[in-house]
Amino acid sequence: MVVKYKQPKNGFSKRPSKSMLKKATVREIAGSFGRFFAILAICALGVGFFSGVRITTPAMKRTIQDFYEKHDFYDLRLLSTLGWETEDVEAFEGREHISAAEGSYQFDVICIDPEGNDIVLKTHSITEKVNTLWVTEGRLPEKDDEILMDYRSNCGYAIGDTIRFSSENEEDTTDHFTHTAYKVVGFAESPLYINFERGSTSLGNGTVSGFAYLAPEGYADEVYSEIYVLTDQSFPLYSDEYKDYIDDLKEELEDFTDQRADARYQRILDDANEELGDAKQELADKEKEGQEELDDARKELDDAKIELEDAKKEIADGKAEIAKNEGKLADANNELTDAQRELSDGKEKLDDGKKQLQMAAAEIEKGEKELEENREKLTQAKAQLDQAKSQLDQTDETLKSAQSQLDAASAQLMAALTQIDEGENALAEEEQKLIAAEAYGLMDPQSLAAAKAALAQARQTLAQSRAQYNDGMAEYQKNLAAYKDGVAQYQNGLAEYNKGMQEYRDGIAQFQNGEKQIADAKKAYGEGVAKWNSSVKEYEDGKKEYEDGKAEYEKGKKELQKGKKELTDGEKEYEDGLAEYEDGLVEYEDGKAEFDEKIADAKEKIRDAEDELDDLKEPETYLLGRDTNIGYACFESDSQIVSQVARIFPIFFILVAALVCMTTMTRMVEEQRGYIGTLKALGYTPRDIMGKFTFYSGFAAFLGTVIGYGIGIILFPAVIWYAYLMMYLKLPLQFYFDEKLAAASLITALLCSIGTTWLSCRYELAETAASLMRPKAPAPGKRVFLEYLPFIWNRMKFLHKVSVRNIFRYKRRFFMMIVGISGCTALLLTGFGMKDSVAGFAAAQYDEILTADAQVDFKNGTKNEIPPSLLKLLEGETESYTLLSTGAWDLVMKDAVKGINLLAPQNQKQFPSYFDLHEEAGGKEISLPKQGEVLLCVALADRYHIEQGDQITLRSEDMETVQLKVAGIFENHVYNYVIVHPADFNLDLNAAYVMFPEGANVYQAQTKIAKNKNVTGVSVFEDFKVRMTNMMESLNLVVLVVILSAAGLAFVVLYNLTNINITERLREIATIKVLGFYPGETSSYVFRENYLLTLFGVLAGLGLGVLLHRFVMAQIIVDMVHFKVVIHRESYVYSIIMTFLFTFLVSLLMRRKLENIDMAQSLKSVE
Amino acid sequence: MSYVQFNDVKKTYKSGEVEIHALSGVSFSIEKGEFVVIVGASGAGKTTILNILGGMDTLTTGTVLVDGNDISAYRKRELTTYRRQDVGFVFQFYNLVQNLTALENVELAAQICKDPLPAAQVLQDVGLADRMKNFPSQLSGGEQQRVAIARALAKNPKLLLCDEPTGALDYVTGKAVLKLLQDTCKNTGMTVIVITHNLALTAMADRIITVKSGKIEKEYLNPQKADIETIEW
Repeated sequence: MVVKYKQPKNGFSKRPSKSMLKKATVREIAGSFGRFFAILAICALGVGFFSGVRITTPAMKRTIQDFYEKHDFYDLRLLSTLGWETEDVEAFEGREHISAAEGSYQFDVICIDPEGNDIVLKTHSITEKVNTLWVTEGRLPEKDDEILMDYRSNCGYAIGDTIRFSSENEEDTTDHFTHTAYKVVGFAESPLYINFERGSTSLGNGTVSGFAYLAPEGYADEVYSEIYVLTDQSFPLYSDEYKDYIDDLKEELEDFTDQRADARYQRILDDANEELGDAKQELADKEKEGQEELDDARKELDDAKIELEDAKKEIADGKAEIAKNEGKLADANNELTDAQRELSDGKEKLDDGKKQLQMAAAEIEKGEKELEENREKLTQAKAQLDQAKSQLDQTDETLKSAQSQLDAASAQLMAALTQIDEGENALAEEEQKLIAAEAYGLMDPQSLAAAKAALAQARQTLAQSRAQYNDGMAEYQKNLAAYKDGVAQYQNGLAEYNKGMQEYRDGIAQFQNGEKQIADAKKAYGEGVAKWNSSVKEYEDGKKEYEDGKAEYEKGKKELQKGKKELTDGEKEYEDGLAEYEDGLVEYEDGKAEFDEKIADAKEKIRDAEDELDDLKEPETYLLGRDTNIGYACFESDSQIVSQVARIFPIFFILVAALVCMTTMTRMVEEQRGYIGTLKALGYTPRDIMGKFTFYSGFAAFLGTVIGYGIGIILFPAVIWYAYLMMYLKLPLQFYFDEKLAAASLITALLCSIGTTWLSCRYELAETAASLMRPKAPAPGKRVFLEYLPFIWNRMKFLHKVSVRNIFRYKRRFFMMIVGISGCTALLLTGFGMKDSVAGFAAAQYDEILTADAQVDFKNGTKNEIPPSLLKLLEGETESYTLLSTGAWDLVMKDAVKGINLLAPQNQKQFPSYFDLHEEAGGKEISLPKQGEVLLCVALADRYHIEQGDQITLRSEDMETVQLKVAGIFENHVYNYVIVHPADFNLDLNAAYVMFPEGANVYQAQTKIAKNKNVTGVSVFEDFKVRMTNMMESLNLVVLVVILSAAGLAFVVLYNLTNINITERLREIATIKVLGFYPGETSSYVFRENYLLTLFGVLAGLGLGVLLHRFVMAQIIVDMVHFKVVIHRESYVYSIIMTFLFTFLVSLLMRRKLENIDMAQSLKSVE
Repeated sequence: MSYVQFNDVKKTYKSGEVEIHALSGVSFSIEKGEFVVIVGASGAGKTTILNILGGMDTLTTGTVLVDGNDISAYRKRELTTYRRQDVGFVFQFYNLVQNLTALENVELAAQICKDPLPAAQVLQDVGLADRMKNFPSQLSGGEQQRVAIARALAKNPKLLLCDEPTGALDYVTGKAVLKLLQDTCKNTGMTVIVITHNLALTAMADRIITVKSGKIEKEYLNPQKADIETIEW
């Protein structure tokens, strides 16, 4: 038999002594390094995470505090609406508690950046005792036209560049400065701006692009804008003591500050009043003097005017007379000319008249002769007519007798005809009778014959008569025609006669007429002669008169000539006088205007001054602490994030560490039962024996603590600080060794390890040596509940059944595995979830809520009328837009005031397609507020516990308050939006949400819109999204730390448990190896349980992770940002996959250990 | 050729500078169907022989043939297959899986080999028909060892190797177990090799191999094999 010194526990075979015990313990450590390492690792991990996370906030604070102390960051900032004078500064400096006070200027100004855009810079004057600068490049400004620029937000300037003020600046702004262009001499970090925020401004688009420092001489002002005060005390950053101290100091200084400000106010008031009085007196004097002078001048002028008026009148009279006389002369002249023409006309007429008279006499003579001839002709015609008359009368008589003859013949003829007709009728009748008689035989044939003969006879006679008649008739006709010719001849003769008679009568009338004409002509001639004679006389008279008038006219003309000359002279004289007067008057008017103006100006000035004085309110003073500095305040909340995380996460690690220690030590004690029994048998006290185990675990815990603490306090702050450097100035982190934390960590670790060791040893040590040396019965096999479900159990593979039974065999291990793995999954899920929430809030805001593409801000004072050119531009460059009013208001709560972003949509219908209003949970649509209602974003509602239906008060910058009822709470992640009805507020329409067309060049459109003179800025939301997402990238590192820690946790737990599992089941594993299980089968036999447990752990961990994530997110409060509490599906998948991956890695690692199990040795005996 | 053959088998452990010779040139052979007892003092090397024969350990030099196969040339995986198919083990401390019932312990072995016997049948054969559903902790030592034997037999192995099978059992129970082994050998013609320090057991063997300080002291056949019932110790 060969003895093999393989196990250090053989140490106890030597002579027992305490030093030997120690030696044995050291060997024990070397021999079971896996176990030792498990305790060490879990302690290191736990302590590392705990201390690292715990120390990060203090280390960060320390770093910033050092920076603040080094650069004398102010404690109080004093503001007065009237500014401060040097003596005020000195007064503060002399006070108790105050180590330094320094006045400073601070003005915002619009500058032109190197690309030619307008940007707003916040300028400060350099202070020497407070808020000193960290010049990173170049030097401090020395001359009054030099400037030191913001290091991080340098706006593209370089040293040597000149920063020029924009022409957009108002005079009020540029008046504060001595120059309008400053030369960049360097770059610096300022304690006033430790993070990336540069604050807001009332100028330009409202955003400050960077800060800048000037030498005090760079300002033209005499009064300081503010006083920065430094106390002689030093407190930890953000400590309550500091806050209390500052509160006390504020209270103490409040009255003094007011006094100083009031004194300044009184001084200003007195000086102004005195000056005003003097000015008023002077004005009155000057006014009086000037008025007198003016009055004299006026009088002189008036006199001159009267004289001139007289002269003017005289001249006018003279002129009138001359005009009158001239008229008269002209009239006379006209008259004379007329008279002359009349005379010549008269003469001509006289001559004509004479000629006519002579012609008339000749004509009369000729007429008389003609008349005589006519008389003879008429007498002859009369004789002829009379003869024709008598012939006619004769003819007439003849004709009358012929007519009577004819009438008699006609009558005879008529009678004859009648007789004939009667005879014929009678004959015809006789004949009829005869015929009838013959026919009927009424008569005898003789009589009948006789009758017939008589009848024929009669007929013959009758025929003769008729012939006679016809002859007579023809003759009558012939006579009648002859008669008719005669009558016609007569008629002609009679007409001829009548015609001749008429001619004769006409001739008589003509003759008589001519006679009369001649008589008339004779008479007219006589008259004409008489008239002519009188005309001749008249003419003679007229001629004489004309000659007289002409002489008179000549005389008048001469006189007029003389008068005219006199008048011209007078007129000239008057004109000269007038010109002189007008000059005088103009001079006077000018003088008077000037005087009036001057007086008015002076009066205006006095009035303005008076108004100004009236407006000069009692000064308001402000004592502002550091908490009003954005960087200071942001850093407090940002550093809180880490400490909030620090509050929960380590609990897991401590819990798991305790469990790991406990399990490990229990196993160890169980393994060493025999050893304990032997020691006991040898007479060692339980104390000594316990000492070995406590030393073992305590030493592991101690080493782990040292390593963990050492790594934790460097690694965690370094990583997290690196992340924060994206938002803060680049200071090297001050690492920080916190003795208390170190002690606490060590104590916790020792408690976990030694405490659990004691718990594990307690029972074993109580047993007797003999029973200890007997092997402990292995944990009995047990049926699991699954076996009572045959439909599942019977379907399972045999080896799976084994695994299931094994899982439930060791309750403690099962519990611990679940805790460790679920913790790991929960941490992973929380880590990924934080990333999702933090990375996703900007996307959620700008993809799902504020769906508009950009916001266009208009110039102030755009009341409800937007210039058409602007609307046209918007129409042209965007697909659609909606107008709204925005404003920075305060939400006033009982014990807090919170700045909010007010939105009042103009068009209630359009707005929802730009800003999707819905509830955070469930996504129910929210309609826009009615009048008197308000919608709050969820961040405000959460922070101030406001619920739907509550009344809230909003306050404007001008302290105007509005009370509204909360109608809904909408999901929103960026900014604290509050949506109201425009009718409740009197706001300018000063912004528009716009949508750009699909595929449009947004930046071109942005530039184009921004160039409009009514537009102050165009903010493209996509840029916001990218910027915020980038900013929050810093948290990704924190998340990475969490994920790595979770991985470490899972690894240690799994490794340790698997390790224990294997050592505990060494015999069992050796047995199945002997039975011929291949290595793959062996490991799956052992590790299947791990996967199964991992599955349970993962399931529990997912639930736990959701809760943990929710809790952590609730702890992280960043102003203006409300994180979306969301975990993406991928994160669940990653967490699950990673947890299984850890299990797999541990299995892989442990497989070697399985393969190395020595079957022969393991089967030898029961340990 | 013998069924099992050890030819000048040496086994040397190295522990730092020190070389420990567990076996220094062991040679013997066993025929098929024999009941063999390997006997020797503690540390004589009998367990090493068993380990090598069982494919649990490798040898330093020499050859080991089992049923014509040179198992000393086997690599690890072939050794596992060899254990799996050809060898049945019975240990001093039974080495039952505590978490499996008697039947399941048998099945555990049976389910991995090519030609197993029905587990329940084997258990019945070893007289545990009514304890099949019990966990090891509910069985007595003898019963546990019977389960262990059943587990080994269920594989229907070429060799049944028993390492001090009665070491943890009382006299009576030990005898019963030995009887079971002897009956098995007799009834099934299986080659059974028992390792013990108890010389009394040699009486029941077909072949006795005595080991001392890593060497074979004696190897002889027992002409008058006694029944276990008649052996006293």
